Amino acid sequence: MKPAYSSHLSPLYSLVLALCLCLVALPSMAADKDEETSAIERGAYLMKIGDCVACHTAVGGRELTGGLPFETPFGPVYSTNITSDKDTGIGNYSYDDFYDAMHHGVGINGNLYPAMPYTSYSLLTDEDTRAIYAYLMSTKPIKQANLDNDVSFPFNLRFGLKGWNLIAHDAKVFKPNNAKSESWNRGNYLVNALGHCGECHTPRDTLYAMEPDKHFQGAIIEGLEASDITPSELNRQNWTHEDLNNLFTEGYSRKGTVFGGMYPVVYHSFSHLTDTDMLAVSRYLLDTDDNIEPQKLTFNGHNPKLPGYPLYKGYCAGCHGQNGEGRPNVAPAMAGNATLDKASPHNVVAVILKGIDSQHYNSTTSFYAMPGYAKELDEEQIKDLANYLRLTWSNQPANLDIKTIRNVKETVFSHN
Amino acid sequence: MNQSIKLTINNQAVGPIEVTDGVMMIEFLHEYLNLTGTKFGCGAGVCHACTVIVDDEQGMSEVVRTCINGVERFNGKRIRTIEGHAKLNEQGEITALSPVQQAFLEHFSFQCGWCTSGFVNEATALIERLERKPIPSAQVEDAIEEALGEHVCRCTGYVKYYAAVKDVILRTKGLTLS
Ligand code: FES
Ligand code: FES
Repeated sequence: MKPAYSSHLSPLYSLVLALCLCLVALPSMAADKDEETSAIERGAYLMKIGDCVACHTAVGGRELTGGLPFETPFGPVYSTNITSDKDTGIGNYSYDDFYDAMHHGVGINGNLYPAMPYTSYSLLTDEDTRAIYAYLMSTKPIKQANLDNDVSFPFNLRFGLKGWNLIAHDAKVFKPNNAKSESWNRGNYLVNALGHCGECHTPRDTLYAMEPDKHFQGAIIEGLEASDITPSELNRQNWTHEDLNNLFTEGYSRKGTVFGGMYPVVYHSFSHLTDTDMLAVSRYLLDTDDNIEPQKLTFNGHNPKLPGYPLYKGYCAGCHGQNGEGRPNVAPAMAGNATLDKASPHNVVAVILKGIDSQHYNSTTSFYAMPGYAKELDEEQIKDLANYLRLTWSNQPANLDIKTIRNVKETVFSHN
Repeated sequence: MNQSIKLTINNQAVGPIEVTDGVMMIEFLHEYLNLTGTKFGCGAGVCHACTVIVDDEQGMSEVVRTCINGVERFNGKRIRTIEGHAKLNEQGEITALSPVQQAFLEHFSFQCGWCTSGFVNEATALIERLERKPIPSAQVEDAIEEALGEHVCRCTGYVKYYAAVKDVILRTKGLTLS
């Protein structure tokens, strides 16, 4: 028979034993947990910079559940549910499955359309891909079935994408450039891998692949032009590190606002960059670690004799200022405006034609909607106005003709 | 630098008048013509209080905000402001309000009245559009929301404004398809 006290001692003894075991086990469990938490946290940041939310959230839809349509030349493609839901999301993906989707565009149900920027994401490091995976797997599973794509034949045949991958996708590994600073290299990685900026800002060839020798030279996308963001062009326009920093955090700088497809990018993604990463991005984009001194904004003076003068005063000056100085939180300045100072007149004309939706960035920065004037102004007037803007506030020649206006009009309105 | 401005306001030819550079239309109405019924609210194109009607030769009209548009935009055009809606007798006395004005009174739509002239112009333009192109009565509320939705009333009179406009539309023959 067991001593009477043993029945009292034994649970206590087990508890002590258990506690001891715990003490032995705790440090390593805690370390795992910490690692996991920090991977999830890092993944959350990386996912923001990768801008997953903007594409994988339908207007008015729940975050990361997909359903946002992408206009492609072949028909609309819809983004998918990437929450951790096992039936409709990516909850069933192993890390290797996820890696294949991110780096090679191969999901567990077949090849992905290259609207998913795996051609850029293939540059992601394994560590970062793991962190993003950890984050997505930690998201709340939300059941929401994916929409069928509406892509025309033969592009609806997903096996064709295999062929596309063979020809157009070259899964590269990110290689730092040792001749450049660490910060520049970080910027390169953020911009080209995670930020996948080239997907919009690089022209595409007939196969719809980014043309490597035209990297960042600008392209028309959904009726607007994703600007030329090569260092030579940005430096010609005298962008400074501070200007880019302002633009990416506030959506606004002394050189104008972002609009169209770039608005959600700043809102969801770039405004979350850490200060160090932001500086890295501008060092890479401007291709210099040096400070750039800001130059005076361009205002060449009014010429009331020109037909564009009353048009400017009647339609634009109320918001953009009598001398193009702009109004804080209403409308950006004309003076120094980067959209005006581009060689391509596309966006200037497009904006006059269809206006810009209102934009809200944070509690202190927002811009009012600009109305489009396609109905009220005829082609001749739009030409006069656009030329007047270029002549008065940029270093571009005022040489736009009716044909240019007509071409832009066609592009803009075939995308509505 | 002066501009010479000539236009038609409420069926009366105005000008040519020399206007200093940089004058917004609302300022022109107030300071040059003493037409003060158009109200200045936000001054930035948001509240739509300063809305007037611009008519073109084809009989089409559109509403335009006068606080953000320079007088040059209106040069040579036909404008209707709040002063042009009521019927007047030969002595210039008001004999009848327009149906929209009357309905706003009947519904006690406005309180301080600052936003009212904008609402009158916008609702009138809507009704004229429906005269040209009637809509099913089930769509009337949406059409009102679309037309008046951007007008801000600081006294929050929206419900009564909308109810008044709906009333006018439903009781006027030819605006809705039965
Ligand atoms: S005063 Fe013109 S829109 Fe507010
Ligand atoms: S009645 Fe006062 S602002 Fe509308």
